[in-house]
Amino acid sequence: MPNVEINADDVMIQLKGLKKSFGKQAVLLDVNLDIRRGETMVIIGQSGSGKSVILKHMVGLLQPDEGEVTVDGITISTPKFFDTRTIRRKMGMLFQMGALFDSMDTGENIAFALREHHPELSEEEIQKVVTEKLKLINLVPEFRSKMPSELSGGMRKRVALARAIALSPEILLYDEPTTGLDPITSDVINDLILDMQRKLKMTSVVVTHDMVSAFKVADRIAMLYKGRIIEVGTVDEIKNTDNPFVRQFILGQRKIPTEE
Amino acid sequence: MKILSPVHYIGFKTFEKISAVGEVFCILGRTLKALPHAHKNTDLIVKQMVSIGVSSIPLLFVTSIFTGMVATIQAEFQFRDLVPDKFVGTAACKMILIELGPILTALVLAGRVGSALAAEIGSMREKEELDAYTVLGLDTYRYLALPRFIAFVTMVPSLTIISNCLALIGGWIVCVLALDITSYTYYTGMQYLFQPMELWAGVIKSFVFGVIIFVLGYYHGVNAGSGARGVGMATMNVVVASCLMILIADFALAAILF
Repeated sequence: MPNVEINADDVMIQLKGLKKSFGKQAVLLDVNLDIRRGETMVIIGQSGSGKSVILKHMVGLLQPDEGEVTVDGITISTPKFFDTRTIRRKMGMLFQMGALFDSMDTGENIAFALREHHPELSEEEIQKVVTEKLKLINLVPEFRSKMPSELSGGMRKRVALARAIALSPEILLYDEPTTGLDPITSDVINDLILDMQRKLKMTSVVVTHDMVSAFKVADRIAMLYKGRIIEVGTVDEIKNTDNPFVRQFILGQRKIPTEE
Repeated sequence: MKILSPVHYIGFKTFEKISAVGEVFCILGRTLKALPHAHKNTDLIVKQMVSIGVSSIPLLFVTSIFTGMVATIQAEFQFRDLVPDKFVGTAACKMILIELGPILTALVLAGRVGSALAAEIGSMREKEELDAYTVLGLDTYRYLALPRFIAFVTMVPSLTIISNCLALIGGWIVCVLALDITSYTYYTGMQYLFQPMELWAGVIKSFVFGVIIFVLGYYHGVNAGSGARGVGMATMNVVVASCLMILIADFALAAILF
């Protein structure tokens, strides 16, 4: 479990009464969640329950139908909010499939945003940062010349993580970081998530349905069920909860225990 | 949305199409807004120019030469025993410069690079690469749309001029080898009644066709459905829509320019 001091009153990301529908399908009905500065919040829930939709609201990729998203005191869920660049430079996101830029090699993927946002950096300094980020994700600098198509699933996620932290964000969002990976590679990714928080003191939001990963990396866990957050608690609180829906999910049961 | 009646259906579809037209103009507007940043992305622009322009030359070479040959043979067949041979060159030149060159180049490029643009952007959207650009604070219009836009609006007219030349060469080959018309007769025929406006009209038209192929390719790419079928449909739609719009725009421009 992460070991960083967290102040319960210092909220980094706040979701208030979030509602979102796609056509006739209502995905988020009323999502309320506070994520504290420096903590790792894991959002769990079934596939298709809207976990990634929550994440996309946090980074401004989606706008809510109703409700409010506040990041570091700035409400980003309003059409009047145009300064998305400022807030996005505080955030990094690891996409489910990595979302590496296929036409660029590993080094270019990591350096691209850096080069655009920091034109004052020399090429030598940029390469130094790339090497440093590759080291953080336990990859040797020689990896910089590999194309994304030459990388395995786990490697792609590690490179995507290096790209996400290239701009040294304060908040890191992980969209199903261990999905599609074998258990050992999953654990490597889990360790990296923990490392990121310990070394870089980031606020992390992890969306997953992998309970091994959730229990390992989380400070707190929130369960999304039928468009609402039905439980928020520490790992121990979630493990010992009486909520039948949460128990069903963490134990991986087909039926809700009370129905049996 | 629940469809209640045929009238409702027609209204709904009309609204959908109007929204699509609005979105197409938004894409164009946002791309033009990024234009002041063009000089910072010269490497991306050159890469797209090579991919759209230089790589299309072999295909264009074959289609243009053969079109020029066919046009000249047809002209000679129609004129035979009625009009002096000199006018074969005149007719071929006018046909090629005003219509055949620009239209043929635009249709070939709509099929080759318009579909490739939709497939590329569609697959980037599918793999969340477009979202990744946005999250990294990078404007997709500046890094993805603008280099392609510039490549399209410069390469389509350039390729049209190349296609015109190749088609005229095709016509000359047929004249000399098959039609018993001398090079001199063909060449003087080409010059006879030539107006520079005919050449410029073709170039202006091909510039507009470049804009059409780009904007429809990009629109269908960002709106592609998911999976292989979604991307496949997007590529088909962009070719159909581009070809239709090119022909409609050609008519409109012909009415305006001549």
